Amino acid sequence: MAVKVAFMQCSDCWGCHQSLLNAHLGLLPVLPALDIVYWPAVVDFKHDSLKARPDGDILVGFVEGSLRTNEDVENAKLMRAKCQLIISFGSCSCYGNVHGLANQWDIQKVINRKFVETESITNESPHEPKEHMPGFTEKIMPLDEVIKVDAYIAGCPPKPEAIISSVVFLLGQKPQPMNDLAFCNECPLNTEGCLLDKGVMCFGPITSSGCTLKCTSNGDPCVGCFGPSKTVASRAEKLNGMVKNLSTISTGNKKNLFEFLTLFLNVPLMAGFDLAGDVLKQIKKRGAPESPLANLPPTTEDIASSIMAYLRDNRDFTEISNVCDTCPRIIGSKSRMTKVKRDYEGLPNMDDCLIEQGYICMGPVTKAGCGGLCLRVNAPCSGCYGQTEWVADQASRFADVVIKGFNVDVSKEELLSQVKDHLGTFQKFTLASNRSYKGGE
Amino acid sequence: MVKEIVVEPVTRLEGHGGLRIVLGDDGKVKDAQFNITSTRFFEKFCEGRYAEHVPRITPRICGICPIPHHLTPTKAVEDAWGVEIPEPARKLRILLQNAKQYSSHVLHFYALAAPDFLLGPFADPALRNVVHVINKMPDVGAMALKMMDFGQKLCAEIGGKSVHPISAIVGGMKKPMDEDARDKFLKQVGEQIEFTKKTVEIGLKVVEDYWDVVANVAVVPTYYLGMTKNGVHDIYEGDIRIVTPNGEKKDFDIHKYLDVLGEHIPEHSYATHMYYKPAGYPDGIYRANCLAMINAADKMATPLADEALKAFRDKTGPISHHTFAYHWARLIETVEAIEIIATLLKDPDVVNPDCKTLDVEPREGNGVGVTEAPRGLLLYNIWSDAAGICKKLNLLVATNHNIAGIEKTLMHTAKQVFEDKALDGLKLPDPWIK
Repeated sequence: MAVKVAFMQCSDCWGCHQSLLNAHLGLLPVLPALDIVYWPAVVDFKHDSLKARPDGDILVGFVEGSLRTNEDVENAKLMRAKCQLIISFGSCSCYGNVHGLANQWDIQKVINRKFVETESITNESPHEPKEHMPGFTEKIMPLDEVIKVDAYIAGCPPKPEAIISSVVFLLGQKPQPMNDLAFCNECPLNTEGCLLDKGVMCFGPITSSGCTLKCTSNGDPCVGCFGPSKTVASRAEKLNGMVKNLSTISTGNKKNLFEFLTLFLNVPLMAGFDLAGDVLKQIKKRGAPESPLANLPPTTEDIASSIMAYLRDNRDFTEISNVCDTCPRIIGSKSRMTKVKRDYEGLPNMDDCLIEQGYICMGPVTKAGCGGLCLRVNAPCSGCYGQTEWVADQASRFADVVIKGFNVDVSKEELLSQVKDHLGTFQKFTLASNRSYKGGE
Repeated sequence: MVKEIVVEPVTRLEGHGGLRIVLGDDGKVKDAQFNITSTRFFEKFCEGRYAEHVPRITPRICGICPIPHHLTPTKAVEDAWGVEIPEPARKLRILLQNAKQYSSHVLHFYALAAPDFLLGPFADPALRNVVHVINKMPDVGAMALKMMDFGQKLCAEIGGKSVHPISAIVGGMKKPMDEDARDKFLKQVGEQIEFTKKTVEIGLKVVEDYWDVVANVAVVPTYYLGMTKNGVHDIYEGDIRIVTPNGEKKDFDIHKYLDVLGEHIPEHSYATHMYYKPAGYPDGIYRANCLAMINAADKMATPLADEALKAFRDKTGPISHHTFAYHWARLIETVEAIEIIATLLKDPDVVNPDCKTLDVEPREGNGVGVTEAPRGLLLYNIWSDAAGICKKLNLLVATNHNIAGIEKTLMHTAKQVFEDKALDGLKLPDPWIK
C-alpha cells in the first residue's frame, strides 16, 4: 500500500525539489509507493486540504527551506502536527543556508534595503508591504529551532540518489536480491590477492554478481552497488567479523562502509543523512523490520543488523568523515600554501589539494556526502553540507585543522587576517544554526 | 455582499504565492491581487562578501534557474573590475546557459503546464499533475524525462552541479569540458533534436485544440521586456529591448537600466512591481519571459527556431498579447536552445583549457550583468570596493519582472470570467487523458 507523504516549502529556492526531480527515470520505481498528499510545486492540493487532515495522518513530511516569515513558522508547526516523521530536507532547513547571513543585521535594516533603499524603487514613500503579507521573523531559523525534527538530509541541494534512498529507507522498503551468486565468484582477486585477506572492507561476499568487476580490477573493494545476492560467498564470515568491530574501523574502510550504506542498504548516510532520536525504533513500531533487509541469507542480514545497530548507538560516527574523504586531489602534494589566495587568482591545477595551492577550501571541516562535486570542476568546497563539528569559532577551527594536516606555511594569525570575510567564508551555510552567534559583523 | 476568492497557494510554480479576487455586490471585480509571501533579502546579505563569492551565493535564489544566477553576477563583477574573458570561456558559458534553458523549458512545459491542457481545466485536482501524465502517457513521459535529464546532466558536466553550479569564476571558467564527456553528449544530441521536434508537434496540437482560449482569454496588451543582440534573440548577452503595446521596439544599453526599469513597491506583495519607467506606473507595466523575448526578437539565432518564429507570427501577428501563447513561445526558445547546444558541442573551444584569464585585479567600481533567465531578464548591479568586496547589490530578478504583468492579466481575466462570462461559450477540446 502506498504511504502518505507531504512536501512543504518554506523560504528557499526549490532546488531540493529540482534535485529530487533530477533523479528523473530513477523516480519511476519509487513513485508508486508514495501517496503524495501535499506538494504545491508539483500537485494541485491546496493548503486547506492539508489543514483538514487529522493529526498524524501523514507518515513522512519533508520540510524544505529555512524559516524567514511567520507563515514559514506556521507551516512548520502544521507539518509537525500532521506528520509522524519530519525530515529536515536540505541545508536551508538543516542550517539556515546562505540567507542566514542576514542574521548579521537587525531585521529592520534588512527590510529597508529591499523595500526602501533599493536604487530602482520609484515610490515616493516606499515601505514594507503589509496587506495580506505574513511579516518576517527576527532571524533566519533552521527548522529544528521551531519543531522537533526526526531526520536530516543536508546538502545544497542533497544529491538525488541520497533523497531517493532516504525515501526508500524511511518507507521500510527492502533491497531486492539480484542474482544467485555473489560477486566473489567472478572477482579477479578471488584466488589470489583478496582484499578482505588484507583487511580491506570489501562487500563482495554478499553482493550480487553480474557487474563489470571494475572496482576490484582496479584494486578497489566492492561497495555493493549491485545489491544483495541470493547466496553468500565463503568470505562472508570474514566480513561479518569485521563489522562486529566498527569502533576501530580505519579511514579507508569507513569510506567503503559509507558507500555500501548508500548503495546497498539504501541508508544514505554518506549523503548527509542523519538520524535524530531513535527513528529506527519508530519505524519498527510501525511494523517494519529492524534490519532493512528481509528474506536474504542470514549472514547478509547479520552484517546489515550489526551495521545498523552501530549507527544507532554511535550517532557521531558520520561526523568524523569529511569532504576530503571523497576528494580525488592529493593531500601532501608538491604545492604549499604560502599566502591565502582569492578564488579569482590564477587557476589551480586539477591534481593537488586546493588548500595546498593556497585557496580556502572548506573540505576538511565539512561533512561528507556530496562526493566532492565542486573539487572536480576546480572550485573549492564552500561548506554546503554543514560542519563536521559544531564549535563557536569556525574560523579558528578551520585554521587549526589545515595547519595541522596540510602543506600550509602560514601561521594561524596570518591565515585568519588574510581572509577578509570570515562569516561568508567559514559559516556561509550555517550561521543561522550557530547558537552562540549573537549578530554583528 | 463582497465576495473574496482566494487561491492559496498557487500550485505548480516555484515560490510562494496566492491569488485573491474581490467581487462586489454588483458582481463586478473590485480587486485582483497576486500575493507573493516570501523573500530572503539577497540584496542585503551579499554586502560584505568577496565580490567573486557573490556568484556562489546567488544561485540559491532559484533552484530551477541557478545557472543564470551564477553567470550573471560573474559578468557584473567582470564589468565592475574591467575583466575580459577568453573566448572559450564565453562559449562554455553560452553552452551552459542554453543547457539550462533547455531543461527548464522542458520541465515547465511538461511538468508545470501540460497537465492543464492534457487533462483539461476541469479535471480532478488530485490527478492534474505530471505524475498522472507520466502514468497515462508513458512514452511522452519517458521522453520528457530524458529531455530534462539531458539538459540537467549537461549543466552538471559544465557547471559542476546542475543545481547551484560553481564553475564560473571572475575571469572565465575554472575548467573546460572533458573531451570524453563532450563526445558522450554529442552522441545524444541528435536524439534530443528529434524529441524537441516531437514536443513542438504536441505543443502545436495543444495550441490548435485550445485556439479559442488562446485567442480570446487573457489577451492583454502590455509592454514587453526582452534582450536581443543586434536585434537577434539572445539569452547570454545583448541590449535591453522594450516593446511597446503597439509593437514599437526600443533598445537600451544595460548600464542605463535605471532610466528604463522602475520598481514600484506594492502594499500586498513582497515581489515588487516592475514597469517601463518612461511610461510611468501602472501604465508602463510590462511582461517578461519567453513571450516577451519572442515579441522582442527580429529573428531567432538558429534556423529551425527562426522557422518556428515565422509560423508563430503568421498566426498571431507581429506582436502577440496572448497570455496562453507563452507556452508556444517557450517551445520556440526550446528549439533554439537545442540547436545552439548541438552547434557548440561541435566547437573545439568548449574543450579548450584556455578558459580563464590570469589578468584579474579588483578595482573600485559598479558593474552590471544581464542575461535572459528561463523566466525573464535577469540583472545584477554590483558595487565593488578597491579590495573587491561587494559593498552593495541591486537585483532585478527574472520572475519579479512578471509580477505586475501577471496581476494585470489576472484583473483582465477575472473581469472576462466574472463580468463578461467569457468562459461560457468557449470551445474546449476533449481531454487527451482522463
